[in-house]
Amino acid sequence: MSASVQSLVSQPYKYGFTTNIEVDTIPRGLSEDVVRMISAKKNEPEFMLEFRLRAYRKWLTMAEPAWPNVKYPPIDYQNIVYYSAPKTQAKKLGSLDEVDPTMLETFEKLGIPLSEQKRLANVAVDAIFDSVSIATTFKEKLAESGVIFCSISEALQEHPDLVEKYLGTVVPIGDNYFAALNSAVFSDGSFVYIPKDTQCPMDLSTYFRINNGESGQFERTLIVAESGSSVTYLEGCTAPMYDSNQLHAAIVELVAMDNASINYSTVQNWFAGDENGKGGIYNFVTKRGLCAGKNSKISWTQVETGSAITWKYPSCVLVGDNSVGEFYSVALTNNHQQADTGTKMVHVGKNTRSTIISKGISAAKSKNSYRGLVKMGPKAEGARNYSQCDSMLIGDTSSANTFPYIQVQNSTAQVEHEASTSKIGEDQLFYFAQRGISPEDAVSMIISGFCRDVFNKLPMEFAAEADKLLALKLENTVG
Amino acid sequence: MASSTAEVHSRMTADQRDAYLKGLVQGAKAAVPKALALETVRSRAEALLNEHAFPSARDEDWRFTDLADLLAHNFVAAGEATVGEADVADLRLPETAGAQVVVVNGRISAERSQFQNLPDGVIVGSLQSHLDLQIVERLAQASGHHEVFTALNSVGFQDAVVVWLPRNTVVETPLQIIYLSQPEETPLLVQPRCLVVAETGSALTLIEDFGGLSAAPHFTNAVTELWLDANAQLTHSRIQREGAGTFHIGKTAVTQARDSQYIGTAVDFGARLARHNWEIYQTGEQTTTKIYGLGAIAANQHIDTHSLVALSHPHGVVEQQHKVIVDDHAHSVFNGRMAVAQKAQLTNASQLNRNLLLSDKARVDTKPQLEIVADNVKCAHGATVSQLQADEIFYLQSRGISAPQAQRLLIYAFAMEMLETISVETLRSRLASTISKWA
Repeated sequence: MSASVQSLVSQPYKYGFTTNIEVDTIPRGLSEDVVRMISAKKNEPEFMLEFRLRAYRKWLTMAEPAWPNVKYPPIDYQNIVYYSAPKTQAKKLGSLDEVDPTMLETFEKLGIPLSEQKRLANVAVDAIFDSVSIATTFKEKLAESGVIFCSISEALQEHPDLVEKYLGTVVPIGDNYFAALNSAVFSDGSFVYIPKDTQCPMDLSTYFRINNGESGQFERTLIVAESGSSVTYLEGCTAPMYDSNQLHAAIVELVAMDNASINYSTVQNWFAGDENGKGGIYNFVTKRGLCAGKNSKISWTQVETGSAITWKYPSCVLVGDNSVGEFYSVALTNNHQQADTGTKMVHVGKNTRSTIISKGISAAKSKNSYRGLVKMGPKAEGARNYSQCDSMLIGDTSSANTFPYIQVQNSTAQVEHEASTSKIGEDQLFYFAQRGISPEDAVSMIISGFCRDVFNKLPMEFAAEADKLLALKLENTVG
Repeated sequence: MASSTAEVHSRMTADQRDAYLKGLVQGAKAAVPKALALETVRSRAEALLNEHAFPSARDEDWRFTDLADLLAHNFVAAGEATVGEADVADLRLPETAGAQVVVVNGRISAERSQFQNLPDGVIVGSLQSHLDLQIVERLAQASGHHEVFTALNSVGFQDAVVVWLPRNTVVETPLQIIYLSQPEETPLLVQPRCLVVAETGSALTLIEDFGGLSAAPHFTNAVTELWLDANAQLTHSRIQREGAGTFHIGKTAVTQARDSQYIGTAVDFGARLARHNWEIYQTGEQTTTKIYGLGAIAANQHIDTHSLVALSHPHGVVEQQHKVIVDDHAHSVFNGRMAVAQKAQLTNASQLNRNLLLSDKARVDTKPQLEIVADNVKCAHGATVSQLQADEIFYLQSRGISAPQAQRLLIYAFAMEMLETISVETLRSRLASTISKWA
C-alpha cells in the first residue's frame, strides 16, 4: 500500500493568495532605532518603550536555541522587515465602513466576514493583517458586560495600567530567544480582559494574516481572566505562498485568577511550503498560561497543520491550589514540514492536575516531534498528571519522535505517561473497502477517529473545520 | 565532602574541566603496562578525547547528573593490588564455581580467579595473554565509543577480561566476573574493561558484579563490550553494589547480529553517584533484546541510567522495563532512548519506566524517548512516578497486615519483578534479601 499512499499529491494551499494594497513599512533590519521607531509609530506610553528596549538588549546577549529537532538555514535577522501596516490604516478606524474594501475582501475570501450583520455565529473577531489590527467586531456588545476585547495597541492607549500590570508577567522578556525578540518588536495582537464573575457572552477570536513577503509577524496576545470569570478564545492563521520563508514569533500570555477558566484554541494553517520544502512560515511561538488563582483552569487546544517549521509549547504554570491545566493537540506534518511541539505542565500548588493528549501525524518526508515537560515541584502535594502521546506514520520516510521529560520532586504526586506509534494498516483499509468506502474516505475517517479526543475539545464550528482541514491536507497521501 | 566544595566545582569553567580531563588522561596513560600499548586503540581514543569536552550540565546527556562532586577529587590511576580470599568469598556464587574471574583495580587476579569449569575452546582470561589479532580487532570497535568516559577507559585500561566463545559452544556454568577496588590513601581511578565475543550459535550466562571494599572515594570507570554474532544467546546480569563513596560510570555496549538474543538485567544499589550507559546496537534482522533495570537508592545517592536501543534492521523485538525505588534525598535519572531507523520495519518494541518515590526530598527525572522513522512498527512506551498506592496498602490492611508490613510487601513485589529476570538462584536471593532489608 505504502507506495500508492505517497504517490498521490496534496491539494494546493487554498489561502495562498496575496492582497495588493499599499503598505507602510520600515526598512529591513533590527537595531535600537528600529525598536524606538516601532514604539513611536504606535505612540506608546513610556513604560512600553523601556520594556521593548530591555527586551532588545537582552535579546542581543542570547543565542538561538539549537536543541529542537528541526533543521533550517540560519535566519538573517537583519533581513527582515519588522513593521508593516496597510497604509490606509494610519489611525484606528471608527467603524468598519472605513476599512479598506480590499482588506475586507481578503478576509471574506478567508471565510472571516468582518461585517457584523453577516456574522452568523456568535463570535467576536479581531482581525490582524501583517503588523496591525484591522478591525475588532462586537466591541460594543462585549463592553456592555465589561469585557475588554481590542487590539493590544489600542489597549496600550486606553488601558495602559492593565497592560503594564500583566504584560511580561507570564513570559518574561528574557524567557527565550524568540520571546525576547517578540518583546522588543511586537507590533500588535489582541488584548482581552474579563472582569470579576463574568462569563464572556460570546466566543472571542483573532484571525492572523501575514501578507507582506518580507516582513516577519510578531504578535502578542494577553488574556486576563479575573476571579470567577470564564472565556473561550479561538485563533486562526493563514499566509500567502512565497518562495522565501517568513518568520513568525508570537507570544501568548494567559492569566487566570481564582475560579477563572480560559479555553484557548488554535487552528494554525500558515503556509507550509511547497512539496519540495520551498517557502513556508517559520513558526516560533511561546504560549504560556498562569493559573495564578485557586481552582483556576487553563485549557489549550491546538490543531497544527501549517508552517514549514513549528516550534511551540503551550504551557501551564499551575500555581494556585487545585488548579487544572489541559493540553490537547493534533499536529500534522506533510511534505518537508518539521514540527517540534508539545507542552510544559509545571505543578507548583497543591492538588493541581494536568492532562496532556497529543496526537502526531507525519506523512511524506516530514518530521514530527512531541516534546513535553511534566514537572512536580516539592510543594505540589497530591498533584496528578496524565499524558498520552500517540503518533501515526504515513509512509516510511517520515519520522515521529517523543521527548517527554518527567521531573518529580514530591512523593505524593502521580505522573503517568503513555505513548504509542502506529500506522494505518492495510487490513483497516481493506475492511473499509469491503464496505464500499474508498481508501481516501477510509483514511480520513481513521484519522478523524485518531484525533477525536482532541477534536471533541474544540468549539463546534472549529471542530468541523479542523476535521475538514486534516482531510484536505492529507488528501491523496493515502490510496 | 562538604557541599560547599561541590558548589565551587560546579562553577568550574569549561577550561578548568578540560584541564581536569587532561590530567586524568595523562595519569591513566602513564599507568598503562608496556605489553598493552595497543597503539591504534589508544591513539584513536586519545584523539577523541581531544575533540570532546568534559561533560557539564549544559550537555543534554548530563543535564540531571552533576559531576561537581567528582571534579572535587583528584583521582590517581590505580596500580596493581591484591585482595585476600576473605574479601572475595562473600561475592562468590556457588553456581559459578570454577568459572570466576576476579579483577582487582582493573587487573585480573590470577590467584583469585578460577577457570576449571569452562568447556574446551572457550577463552576466558587476561588480554595480556590473549593478544592475538582476532581479539584486538574487536576491542574498542563497538558503536558507542564516541563518548568521553568510554574513551578515557580505552586510553588507560590496564588489562581486560577477554571472553571468547567459539561457534556453537554452549557454556553451562554461568561465568562470574567480580570487580573489586582496593582503596588507598589517595582516591583511585579504576578502569575495568571486559570484552565478550559470542560467535555464531554460542550461548553464555554472564554475571558482572561490581563490589566495593570500602566507602573511601574512588572512581570506577568501567567499559564492557558484548558482541553477539548470529544466533548467539547471552544472558547478562550487571550488579553494581559499590561502596557509599564511589563514583561509578559504566558503559555496556552490546552489538547484536542476526537472530541473536540478549537478555540483560542491571541492578544499581550502591555508589554515591552511578551512571550506566547501556547501549544496544542491532546489526542484523530478527534480534531479540530484553533489558531490565532495577535501582534502589536512599540517603544522598544518585543513579542515572541512559539506555539506547538502536534498531536498524527489520523484525527486531525489544522489551524494556526499568524500575527505581527512591528514598531519602536520593535522585534517580532515567533516559530511555529507542531509535527505530527507516529500515527497521516490523519492529515490535515496548518500554516501561516505573518509579516509586518514598520520600518528599527524593527526586526523579525521567525521559522515555522514542525516535521513529519506520512506519510499519509497533512501539509503545510508558512512564509513571508515584508513591505506594493507598488503596493497595488498605487492601492488605483489611486482611490483617499492618501498614508498615504492607508497605514492605509492596516494595518487595515492585523490586522482585525485575530480580526474577536473573536466572542464577543464589544471586537472585541475595539481591532480594538486600531489598527486603532495605524495605
